[in-house]
Amino acid sequence: MLGPFECFVWLLCTLLEAGVVVCAVRTRSFRRYFLLNVYMGLSFLVSVGRYTVLRHSGVDSLEYAYFYFYSDALLTIGLYFALLSLYSLVFDEMKAERYLRLGAFLLLGATAWFSYEIVNQSTHRMLTHFAFELSQNLYFVGLVLTYVLWGAIFKLRESRTRLIQLVLALGIYFSAFAANYALRNLYPNLQPVWHFVTPLLGCILPATWMFAFLRVPEEARLVPARLAVVPR
Amino acid sequence: MSRKLTVVFLAMLVLVGAMSLKTVVVAHGDGSVIMANGGAPAPPVPWKNGGAPAPPVPWKNGGAPAPPVPWK
Repeated sequence: MLGPFECFVWLLCTLLEAGVVVCAVRTRSFRRYFLLNVYMGLSFLVSVGRYTVLRHSGVDSLEYAYFYFYSDALLTIGLYFALLSLYSLVFDEMKAERYLRLGAFLLLGATAWFSYEIVNQSTHRMLTHFAFELSQNLYFVGLVLTYVLWGAIFKLRESRTRLIQLVLALGIYFSAFAANYALRNLYPNLQPVWHFVTPLLGCILPATWMFAFLRVPEEARLVPARLAVVPR
Repeated sequence: MSRKLTVVFLAMLVLVGAMSLKTVVVAHGDGSVIMANGGAPAPPVPWKNGGAPAPPVPWKNGGAPAPPVPWK
């Protein structure tokens, strides 16, 4: 049974996910950040679906577990493509669209193959295992890709504030979950704390993206650090 | 051609890096999962009760009953 805190955080997260799409439409950024908005829209629909299944079957039911893990795999694939759309925006002046697409599909295919090889060892409930394994592996691929993108932003001296904010938010989101996982294993006796912290982390991405769409205009630029002029 | 090969190399490098990171993290973990999509409560993993490895299924090759041994 869910407590009031879990219900509140879940509702808040769902509203924020819908809020991202609404803010993007309101600021006429929906098409430019199309895949980001598709991911957020999908997250909203999945949240509603999960709530419906949970209400009918309960949190410990097999129906909820299967729906949760299959939808999670779908969302992770969505997040992967959203991240790659940020790559396209960062590299759009280099005309590297074709190579990015090739790399993206190759990486996704290789991750799927790797996941298949892992679950191939245990044939029992293979499809479910595959969805679960793919979701976990893509999470780590997304984590590495976000750091690589952040490195590219530094190297290319990217100045588009909104784009930087979107990428940073994604980096914080991935890192927060990884840190939470590590701390949970380091301090298992603090289980009541993690019980509250983990659902809150899910709100980071929709909250920061909503802020970026709502408060940071598309034409905003960061001033790059100036070179120091030493008088002779 | 070399650009395409570079793309392939980079994709493989990212995959190796990610899987190494996952191995390090999961090896030191308690078997719980990282689920990072939305605020919905994560259910218990349906195919796992505890951390012990699942034993091989005894009726490994299909569910048909085993025939009597011919040299009985």
